[in-house]
Amino acid sequence: MILFNSFRTADPLEYHKSFLKENCRPDGRELDEFRTTTLNIGPISTAEGSALVKIGNTAVMCGIKAELTVPPSDTPNKGYIVPNVDMPPLCTSKVRSGPPEEQAQAASQFIADVIESSEIIRKEDLCIQKEKLCWVLYCDIMCLDYDGNLLDTCIVALLAALKNTQLPKVTINKDTDVPEVDLLQKSPININKHPIGSSFAVFDNTIIIVDPTGDEESLATAVMTLVTDEEGRLCALHKPGGTALSGEKLQHCIGRAATRHREIMKLVDKIIESMKK
Amino acid sequence: MAGLELLSDQGYRLDGRKSTELRKIQARMGVFDQADGSAYLEQGRTIALAVVYGPHDVRGSRAKIQHDRAVINCQYSMATFSTAERKRRPHGDRKSTEMSLHLKETFEAAILTHLYPRSQIDIYVKILQSDGGNYSACVNAATLAVIDAGIPMRDYVCACTVGFVDDTPLADMNHAEESGGGTNLALALLPRGGQIALLQMDARLHQDHLDTLMEAAMTACKGVSKVLDEVVRQHLQETVILTGE
Repeated sequence: MILFNSFRTADPLEYHKSFLKENCRPDGRELDEFRTTTLNIGPISTAEGSALVKIGNTAVMCGIKAELTVPPSDTPNKGYIVPNVDMPPLCTSKVRSGPPEEQAQAASQFIADVIESSEIIRKEDLCIQKEKLCWVLYCDIMCLDYDGNLLDTCIVALLAALKNTQLPKVTINKDTDVPEVDLLQKSPININKHPIGSSFAVFDNTIIIVDPTGDEESLATAVMTLVTDEEGRLCALHKPGGTALSGEKLQHCIGRAATRHREIMKLVDKIIESMKK
Repeated sequence: MAGLELLSDQGYRLDGRKSTELRKIQARMGVFDQADGSAYLEQGRTIALAVVYGPHDVRGSRAKIQHDRAVINCQYSMATFSTAERKRRPHGDRKSTEMSLHLKETFEAAILTHLYPRSQIDIYVKILQSDGGNYSACVNAATLAVIDAGIPMRDYVCACTVGFVDDTPLADMNHAEESGGGTNLALALLPRGGQIALLQMDARLHQDHLDTLMEAAMTACKGVSKVLDEVVRQHLQETVILTGE
């Protein structure tokens, strides 16, 4: 057992390859198997909506805070959503404190793109009065424990937190033009589409594995994230460089992503149902 | 504060507690895999998460290395969604820096740093939900995380905040009570020897009342230490069962 562990530290690539040859992975998973996903919706009561998602060891917490503001001048009938992904030093020993890590910033931009392209929420729904008042939703996604596959976990956390979000009713007093917030009358936001991501890692242009762990990500020759919605449409595809991938393999990945979408939606719906009771 | 009576005539506080009653403390150790030690603690509605990495090589500036003991690096931060109003600057502001420094000083008094010369121990604490007693929740969570990491300490470090209203000390204050004006005393104690690791008070207090307040704070901290001890023993039992004979 000790010898095995030294092999893992001394030559991690060979260690992983020896498993991949047998069509399995060091943690016992199949090549296209996701890690166990657990979901905790609404743990933080100070936030308008919150969710804690764990995919294997990777844990991500998303908190939604809603504020009132004036709509942007170029889109006076829409509110807006501001996502922010944070990887604090507590999530992994490789991150140090200081300005946000580039991985966190890249993830923030990716989530912003997914929100835009998938139309998870119709921004018109966030507008209270055209040109005067709208909601801005600050989605703060915080990684608490990093073991690979950050993007998938962030997307599920964001979706679950948005489903949990309750916004109070706001009316504008006609005489004084001042908004009046009724905290007792809360209603959930309307979720338009449900995007779910699936991440893949490629080894040597040949073997594709699903849901890479931290070790597997650092050893892979390419990584890719696919985001699909419930109608089977592709919302986003993120493949930052790395080795080339054939079109046929890509189609196979899209199929796997669609299956994953169904699995996760079932889980989210089940948790939300159990919370209503 | 108009309309808000922190202590009613019958001796009940805003949330129905008596003046010496602590909030419910629930905690779990070993919640994260990447970290050497981690703990999740709920003290009433305040939720704190503590993560410990170490002891390991000193990273960053080599000037920090101490030849005879370990350097402790603490970082305190609050989640942006932890307060009712979204927190725009969760770390780097003065309050967070002050808290980080206090945590560092508290743990330097408790951890046996002389056992790990030339190394560094990182303690990161994050407040996920804030309802008063942030410092105490952090210290309690960090104690559990340090124990989970297997780093030896002189004793548990238990912390509690106490206030003083109508000549009565109030143990373990929540946010409404803390912001109600009046005294706030934060105490971090090593309960077995009754040794004080950190004591802080910002507000006016007549010196005649100091003894009563200190007594109340010490009793409250000893109460907290019983809960933490229970959590550690429970965790140990579970781990022993899981790892077999």
